Amino acid sequence: MKTTFSNSLIRSAISSTLIIGFALGASGCAYNSVFINYPSQIAPIKQGLNTATPLADIDKLASNINGNDGLLYAQEAGRVAQIAGDFASSKQYYQQAVAAYIAFDDKAKISASDVGATASSLVLNDNAIPYRGPGYERIMLHQYQALNYLFSGDYQGALVEVRRSNELQGSEQERYQKSQKSVQAMANGTVDAEVNKLGQAAGTVTSSFLNAYSYYTTGVLHEVLGEPNDAFIDYRKAAQITPDNTYLQQDLVRLAKQLGMPQYDEFKRRWGDAKLPKSGEGQVILMVERGFVPEKQALTVPFTIHGNWQTVSLATYGPNNAFVQPAQVQGLGTELKTEPIANIDALAITALKEDLPGTLVRQVARVYAKSEMAYQVEKSGKPGNNAADIGSIAMQIFNVVTEQADRRSWLTLPKQAQIGRRYLNPGEYTLQLDKAPPAKIDVAAGKTTLVWAIDTGNYTRIYSIII
Amino acid sequence: MKQFKLIFVLAAVLGLAACQSKVEYGDATEVETVNENFGSTDLQAIAAKMVDSMMTFPPIVAMTANNRPILFVDSIKNKTSEHIDTESVTDSISNKLLRSGKFRFIDMTKVDSVRKQLDYQNNTGMIDPSTAIKFGRQIGAQYMLYGNLSSIVKQDGSTKDVYYKMTMRLMDLETGLIEWSDEKEIRKTKSKSFLGM
Repeated sequence: MKTTFSNSLIRSAISSTLIIGFALGASGCAYNSVFINYPSQIAPIKQGLNTATPLADIDKLASNINGNDGLLYAQEAGRVAQIAGDFASSKQYYQQAVAAYIAFDDKAKISASDVGATASSLVLNDNAIPYRGPGYERIMLHQYQALNYLFSGDYQGALVEVRRSNELQGSEQERYQKSQKSVQAMANGTVDAEVNKLGQAAGTVTSSFLNAYSYYTTGVLHEVLGEPNDAFIDYRKAAQITPDNTYLQQDLVRLAKQLGMPQYDEFKRRWGDAKLPKSGEGQVILMVERGFVPEKQALTVPFTIHGNWQTVSLATYGPNNAFVQPAQVQGLGTELKTEPIANIDALAITALKEDLPGTLVRQVARVYAKSEMAYQVEKSGKPGNNAADIGSIAMQIFNVVTEQADRRSWLTLPKQAQIGRRYLNPGEYTLQLDKAPPAKIDVAAGKTTLVWAIDTGNYTRIYSIII
Repeated sequence: MKQFKLIFVLAAVLGLAACQSKVEYGDATEVETVNENFGSTDLQAIAAKMVDSMMTFPPIVAMTANNRPILFVDSIKNKTSEHIDTESVTDSISNKLLRSGKFRFIDMTKVDSVRKQLDYQNNTGMIDPSTAIKFGRQIGAQYMLYGNLSSIVKQDGSTKDVYYKMTMRLMDLETGLIEWSDEKEIRKTKSKSFLGM
């Protein structure tokens, strides 16, 4: 009796460790987010951005770039370096992220590594699938890379990134037209409710699918680098997404007038005549980024199958009610109030909503795989046998522990982007954004000073360049 | 058992050898199709076409029959969605033109270094004034060679189509007339494989 007990104990222990070991082994070596949720990994980095030493942890972040989620960590590292003003290393990190996206693009339709990743996601969780960002993240990557080139003085390089961003914007627009149907066509009780909730948080307008901030940034770069016609196209698209922004309206009237566009009369009637700079005046363009995009939350539902405990864990976003204040800018003559151009949080929520159908399919398959695993372990021992119980308990613990929602997303992005513009006489100005410490900017006659302010909560960094 | 061990060792050795990376020399003019991006084959095709076209254009043939016109190359504007070293394209073209013996060139990228050197020769007191090269003796260019490189990229599912167009022109600086112009088109299509890693 004693030998049988120990034998079956060993057998059962071996079989469960084998399964767990296989699951871990099959999924490769460097998994950061499989067991430790992603937002908690990035939290200290985000805190660091609100101190005077934002680059303290960047090496730790960059060391993950070679791993499975390298794309995501490269985006985060690039953004952290960029916020800190280290445009050269930010450029390199972003280049790695771009290379990762291209590698994904080049993958075969049925790729062995994709199949492997999906298979291990069935035993572990969705974090085992290498991260591939949603469309808006990829566009923002090129948009930020363009700003890196611009602030390093390479205007031609900046325009290359702008064009890449334009190409992706085009394909995203196409996808948006198709996806609206597929998102709505989903029908499932719990998930439907979750989708509805996300819909309320994001709003269902175009602005939650397409990013007006990207269009505006590419427009500004086109304009200041001497391609006003391209700028006009980008501004028009931005204005379709965010029609109420008065700065954008003014940009459109002005460019329509300068370029002799047929829309000039219509724009003039709607938004008033163009205000052009007086001779000798310079121009200041303000781009203000505020806060951080929200983190994904986990929605966990426990239940039992064959008497074994299982859980389902889905990623979701909490209610979105924090209102971002427009920035009040002092020091440029009368007070200038920026206006929102895009809510990045709405884009993030929509991206998750679009992902849910696929996630759900994998979730169902995973619940089945895990319950089968638990059932097999339980069945392999005799009922009432301690060993079998230990095996099945181990299996259930494994199942519950590994069931983690996929909470990965680019978290150092801003929550909202705002813009402002004004003509000024040449000279030095001390600009102050709300209560943040003031920064000095120069304005030159006939030139444009691009001011990029990044407010991460307790810290505001201001970069400017005269073009 | 012994044989088994041997087979195992052999397999391990073979496995390790397969993992070794290797370096090989290749032909620099070989057609390169690693990916659809702008590559050496495109650069060579553009340079060859432009130089050929220019050297066989009748007015240019007449122009170079009795003297060697002086050219300078303005940078080629990169209007594509790739980071391309356009200076390398102009270098290839000016090299070929220069080697033909029909043109002479002024290198605008080295003007600052030349100015520094002449400054050193004339103003530091270190150089024997009789051997110093005087300012204002260089010869001005008569023609400007310039161009544009643009691209159209289209992607749909598994197919990616890239079209490059390089336009080059030669302008007479005195009259402002375009003496020669030509373009080179390149189309590349890439389709994703169905099965792979």
